[in-house]
Amino acid sequence: MTLKLHDDSGKTLSGPKLVWTLIAGFRGMYLWAALALFAATAFQFVVPLIGSATIDYSLVQDPVHEEPLLRRVIDLIGGPELVTQNLWLPAIAMLAFAALGGLFNYYQKLAAAKASDGICKRLKDQLYDHIQRMSNRHLDQTQTGDLVQRCTSDVETTRIFLAAHIVEIGRGLVLIATVLPIMLSMHVGLTIASMALIPVIILYSYLYIKKVKHLFTEVDEAEGRLTSVVQENLTGIRVVRAFGRHDFEIEKFEKPNTEYRDSSIKLIKIMSWFWSVADIASLTQIGIALIASAYLALQGSVSIGTIFAFLALLNMVLWPVRMIGRILTDFGKTAVALQRINEILTQPFETEGDRITLAPNQPTTGRIAFQDVTFAHHPTDPTVEGINLQIEPGETLAILGPSGSGKTTLMHLLLRFYDCDSGSIQIDGMNIKELDRAYLRAQFGVVLQEPFLYSRSIRNNIRFGVSDAQQADIEEAANMACIHDTIQNFSDGYDTEIGEKGITLSGGQRQRVAISRALLRKPPVLLLDDALSAVDNETESSIISALQQRHGKQTTIVIAHRLSTLAHADKIVVLENGRITKSGTHQSLKDEDGLYRRLWTIQTQLEATLAVETKS
Amino acid sequence: MTHPPDTEALATKIDFDLWRRIFRFALNHKRLLLPLMASALVLSLIDAAFPIVTMKAIDVVQNGGVPKDLIPIAGAYFGLALTLAALVYVFIRCAGGISHHIAFDIKRDCFKRLQELEFSFYDKQPTGWLISRLTADCDRLSRILAWGFLDILWGSFFVAAMSITMLILHWKLALIVLATLLPLLAISIYFQKKMLITSRQIRKHNARITASYNEGIAGVKTTKTLGRETENLSEFEGMSTDMYSASVRRAFFSAIYLPIVMLIGSLGSGLALWYGGLNVLSGSISLGILVAFISYAGNFFQPINQIAQILAEIQGAQAAGERVMGLLATEPKIKDSPEVLQKIATRSAELQPAEGAQNQTTIAPDGHPHQIDEIQFADVSFSYNDKEQILKRFNLTVKRGQTIALVGPSGGGKSTIVSLVSRFYEPTSGEIRINGLDYRQRSLAWLQSQLGNVLQTPHLFNGSVIENIRYGRLGATDQEIREAATLVNAHDFIMKLENGYGTPIGEGGARLSTGERQLISFARALLADPQIFIMDEATSSIDTETEKLIQDGMQRVFDGRISFVIAHRLSTIRSADQILVIQKGEIEEQGTHQELLAQRGHYYELYVNQFRREGEEQALEAG
Repeated sequence: MTLKLHDDSGKTLSGPKLVWTLIAGFRGMYLWAALALFAATAFQFVVPLIGSATIDYSLVQDPVHEEPLLRRVIDLIGGPELVTQNLWLPAIAMLAFAALGGLFNYYQKLAAAKASDGICKRLKDQLYDHIQRMSNRHLDQTQTGDLVQRCTSDVETTRIFLAAHIVEIGRGLVLIATVLPIMLSMHVGLTIASMALIPVIILYSYLYIKKVKHLFTEVDEAEGRLTSVVQENLTGIRVVRAFGRHDFEIEKFEKPNTEYRDSSIKLIKIMSWFWSVADIASLTQIGIALIASAYLALQGSVSIGTIFAFLALLNMVLWPVRMIGRILTDFGKTAVALQRINEILTQPFETEGDRITLAPNQPTTGRIAFQDVTFAHHPTDPTVEGINLQIEPGETLAILGPSGSGKTTLMHLLLRFYDCDSGSIQIDGMNIKELDRAYLRAQFGVVLQEPFLYSRSIRNNIRFGVSDAQQADIEEAANMACIHDTIQNFSDGYDTEIGEKGITLSGGQRQRVAISRALLRKPPVLLLDDALSAVDNETESSIISALQQRHGKQTTIVIAHRLSTLAHADKIVVLENGRITKSGTHQSLKDEDGLYRRLWTIQTQLEATLAVETKS
Repeated sequence: MTHPPDTEALATKIDFDLWRRIFRFALNHKRLLLPLMASALVLSLIDAAFPIVTMKAIDVVQNGGVPKDLIPIAGAYFGLALTLAALVYVFIRCAGGISHHIAFDIKRDCFKRLQELEFSFYDKQPTGWLISRLTADCDRLSRILAWGFLDILWGSFFVAAMSITMLILHWKLALIVLATLLPLLAISIYFQKKMLITSRQIRKHNARITASYNEGIAGVKTTKTLGRETENLSEFEGMSTDMYSASVRRAFFSAIYLPIVMLIGSLGSGLALWYGGLNVLSGSISLGILVAFISYAGNFFQPINQIAQILAEIQGAQAAGERVMGLLATEPKIKDSPEVLQKIATRSAELQPAEGAQNQTTIAPDGHPHQIDEIQFADVSFSYNDKEQILKRFNLTVKRGQTIALVGPSGGGKSTIVSLVSRFYEPTSGEIRINGLDYRQRSLAWLQSQLGNVLQTPHLFNGSVIENIRYGRLGATDQEIREAATLVNAHDFIMKLENGYGTPIGEGGARLSTGERQLISFARALLADPQIFIMDEATSSIDTETEKLIQDGMQRVFDGRISFVIAHRLSTIRSADQILVIQKGEIEEQGTHQELLAQRGHYYELYVNQFRREGEEQALEAG
């Protein structure tokens, strides 16, 4: 189920409405938690009441005002005398009610945790799903760090709100709502005296914490500064050591370290005032209840049991309730977090606006046509303009051009990471805008510039996307990409983990693993975006000749700078400033003035230079 | 790279010796520690005294007193309350103060130690790992030291004070209630541990989820090309389900823990009511005492819970304690020998401040000549981990004024050679000699002050351009910095930056290309006026113009110094006095550019490849 945290105008919901929407699907669970909370509270309150009744009816035998209901209960058991003779009876009853209270407390806590963790799990899953399906244009505008922060810290803020804050406030309200009728039934005046300070205490903690909130932020910031100095020092430690600057660095570290300490201590001083005052207020409340009830008892208007009951109940209510003020100050944080989360969830999917999604049964023949394609990352400055290309099945097309000329953009347009602003791209005569994206992308084996590998084993990286691939196929693909022998030399072979928890591959090795991954798919069309740039010349030519075997069966588009890669292509286009400036074959281009010819002449220059330098 | 083992497991035994050593940090703050101890002690007494006040009030009522009798009771109550509030203020300030002072001290000591440790230490420890040692571990230890100490102190005093009061009031009844104490403690410890372990699991799952988000975002295009969206999502859902289950398990433990201990508390109260009630009836105790006992029975939970929690935390933080104390105990392996230190001391004693200035330029602080005429590798072997020999019986002599170009495949040992010259590492066998003397007999600080290092991907610090260059010599004037920058051809491009030399670099600052960063770090190295220059050329393509600037600067700067260049660019290689082709830790070929080309060996191949590469770069750039 997808969650929609905003109204139709796109504005993030707020207040109770936001919470109500957020807990959709878990409302039953919360209701159960609330009922269990009521039951738990009620049972727990009975415990001191049993103590109080035992004191009044059995031990002192002077209840002052006899409670008819209670009297009936006691008579049902066998009267006060029987209880007096069998004092284990109330003791067992106390234990039984405590157990019942505990049981419902357990239910309530577990239900609340299941609900809040379930909601957050759903939120995380939805965020992950959304990010994968978001349009690239929007994804390009976000920073990975910020996005991850929203998916983790902001969800955690929400979780704390749901699991702790709501529950604590709920508990506070239930405690007060339950204790008030009990107390009132015993003595109205005493109730007022016992509860008068509670609103004051809540208000006090709310206002106080709100006022000093900025100090918490200051401490966080000081901590951040300290961490960044440490980080900076340790990442640059080689420079520090190379210049023998440790004294300088130690001095530099002293400042944020001192600031963090001093701001923390400042906060502690403020908070020790807070707790100290909060304690005196709470203790005063209990003191008032004690003296007032004792005074009333002396006057004969309440019993000793009532003193006992009031003090015990007050102790049960006061400490949880006084947290409410503090929690309330955190509510704003949750609203901000949810808004940040919702900003992700309202980003459009890449499929938004797709009307027709054809998915032919057959794989493509590999005939690709670009017709007058224009696309701009920034509206004013077109990235590629008026591109016309025709690639026949089985052909190899090479694209050459300086960096920033729009080569990669052409690949991205073909894969529909972006849609062209005007013109069209066709595969087998079908406009790719009318094709199902999954179908379209399944037609390609792609090696992107700076290929991305996942932190898992090499085997799983190669078969990523073809999860049922056989070892033989994997090895064949690795062989073609000239990486099989390298993999075999790793101690764990194909099971070698790469990434954070495993080994770090060199740029060339990464490229070759990515090529194997693309080849394993045996795709109708192979796209190589500068995929051999970090591979040495010898390996490069082996890979090229391996790829040649698929010539005629597989359409190949390759972006490259090296003559050795380019020369084999059936067709070569030169892209400059987003436009095709030249196209032809190796034979025709080497005689034309321009980029291709300049590359071609390097070989001649090399020979000339070598001749001079080895002779003299 | 090998990663440090996962040491997050709960320690099975408390290592008292370790904690004693850690506790020494707290002893430095006796000014706060003593009031903390005093306030914890008095506080526990006051906490134990409150039920007595209630008892007195009830006794007054039971004995049919008059309202005036309540005045001393109210006085006592509010006196206690005020004292308690004052003590709360004191102990929060003291414990918080100690905690942050200790954090400050431990971090400072760790940081100092980290500045002294040699490179091989950093090869083994990933930076991120070290950062969390210095921040999270230190904070955690200091928190445990201060608050944990307080909790244990207060908790045990409180339990003792209540027990003693009860025993005095009525020892038989007291023993009955106290019988619930042991199971309470045992159960608390059991659950606190369980909860700590599940919290760890949650953290671990959370880290996996964060990594998964990172991977999902960074690899989103690849995922789309492979059509893996659905599988990725279901893998992610697997992880988030694991996290959900762990969180619910954590909730389960805490949901069941509280009712159980509360029940034990009620058992105590129940026993007090039953047995105490009998005594009330027989008249041997007052009703007040009974009420006091009932509330005592309920009061044990809090201190016991605190103690159990802190014991679990101590076990959980033991690994962090070991890591931090281990770091502090790590002695730098590369440092001046006692003999060298002796010489430095003698030399500085000899030097009269007045006549010193002249002498200092010719004699180094260790008493040997300042000028470096020759560096010699004599049979130098080296390995990072004793397994794999990176350098094998390497021999080389370099004279003042010479430039040595090191070429060859990566991992062949080129960087090792320059790191050995810098004495970031020392040879595992053989000697490196300066003017014929083993450099371990020279002052380390002196040698390193004679080095100018330009790394391949130069690290620049957050701060302005001028601050970064000044790092080479902290006392340099702005004028000297400009001169150094001009000499390495960095001045012009710096002036083109938005704020010239004042332009900030790094996060939120100017984005510099690798070439520009190299130019700045070049100026930084030159500013120290080093006798030995070490340069690791950037492999990533640098635009032709910047490259020319760097080349030109190198020619000028290397003059009259000993220079080692890990060279990639043809022009650098060509102009070196000697070229060493290093492969598998050995000198494969050695000679001048022309001699080596004539050999038609590795060098020839390297040259041809590089020629093509640079040609391609230029061809593209011209377009």
